[in-house]
Amino acid sequence: MNISFNLNGSATNLEVAPGESLLQALRASRVFSVKLGCETGDCGSCTVLLDGQPVNSCMVVAARVNGSHVTTMEGLLGDDLMIRLQTELVEHGAVQCGYCIPGLLISLYALVKQGPSCGGEIDEEVIRHALTGNLCRCTGYVKPVEAARAVVAAMEVPK
Amino acid sequence: MWNLQEYRIASSPAEAVALMRKGPGKGAYIAGGTDMLLEHPACDFVVDVNNAGIGDIARTPGGDLFLGAAATLQGLVDNNFVREFAGGAISKSASQCGNRPVRSTATVGGNLCNALPSADMAPVLLALDATCYIADEDCQESLPLTDFFVGPRMTVLEDRLLVGVALPGECAGWRCAAHKLTRTAEDISLVQVAVSLGMDDGKIQEARIALGAVSPVPMRAVLAETMLAGQEITAVTPDVLRDVATIAAGECDPLDDHRASAEYRRDMVNVLTRRLITRILTDDGDNMEGGAA
Repeated sequence: MNISFNLNGSATNLEVAPGESLLQALRASRVFSVKLGCETGDCGSCTVLLDGQPVNSCMVVAARVNGSHVTTMEGLLGDDLMIRLQTELVEHGAVQCGYCIPGLLISLYALVKQGPSCGGEIDEEVIRHALTGNLCRCTGYVKPVEAARAVVAAMEVPK
Repeated sequence: MWNLQEYRIASSPAEAVALMRKGPGKGAYIAGGTDMLLEHPACDFVVDVNNAGIGDIARTPGGDLFLGAAATLQGLVDNNFVREFAGGAISKSASQCGNRPVRSTATVGGNLCNALPSADMAPVLLALDATCYIADEDCQESLPLTDFFVGPRMTVLEDRLLVGVALPGECAGWRCAAHKLTRTAEDISLVQVAVSLGMDDGKIQEARIALGAVSPVPMRAVLAETMLAGQEITAVTPDVLRDVATIAAGECDPLDDHRASAEYRRDMVNVLTRRLITRILTDDGDNMEGGAA
């Protein structure tokens, strides 16, 4: 079946099988920032934004995104906020093998862009909650959180 | 890959039911799809209901809260009506389901229709007297959520579509607390307990105790509820609480499995029931979140 959707700002048409996941469809289209990890919705290395919400692309049927906006790391390269997140992750030594990083960045990007659902500040607990779906077996869960806090702290200075 | 012949998209509940009945072969409804992409259930086609107009969350003029079946769990976390209803208990239960990206797509209807004994949203909705709305091709039926579950992974639906659940406005002011006991934060629950109390005039007017993962279907502990209803709050002594919790633990029918023994589960129903009632009766209402058990 044919689906048309907006991928990273460009109108895209894809021929997909009815049971194909968005992860499979994206990687077949050479969108390689989206990583295949667990395929059970646990590891988060395939996280993308679907209409602005972080989702596991392995848990979304490709046919479903017909008419939607899908954003992957490729679509956020050069974005100011994404550059700040990338820089702080590197500065804090949060990047080792790198496999989880695109998904982790997408989750952090969605959090900082949208703010926490309760409307409060983005504190450590909120960051950790936002990263519940991103596993990292190299550096663990201190450095990415510290990097995110640095980005949030830097954003608060001008106020 | 999931071996599926056809992906059908419905634009209304009636169309969804018609597409389901059209055949040929076996079909299934799909919304978020998080359970289905995990399990790849054997079917020939699916009927997507994301565009069937059943994703809204609304408060009726009468004060009832309606949760469309295709509303996402993150939608339940974020929505102000849901956050205000019964102290935000439904939002809190939704926030503890899966992880952030799963909640973006997983839906409340999917959670109920998958009908696992451990369905994350079932206890809190049972404790707040939820009614299910079910669509057929040319009519709609409603029934209490208590009658919705028939057995593990079985509901009353057959080929009909769950369009949503409604919570009565009278429950909006009830005090509700729920706890999901798990091995890790993301794991399937070992035991769930949700308690809600409608209190007025220093009395417990209404009491609901709902249990998950401890019987073939999510259930209410009605005998234990009866012991609380009508009691003066001051009369709920530690002895009374112990009796209520023991009765609740006696009402469930847990299984032994690789996650926990039946004995442990029953014990935890006892402990959590006592703890949640105590928390409701002693708390000012701001901090009803489930902490570590």
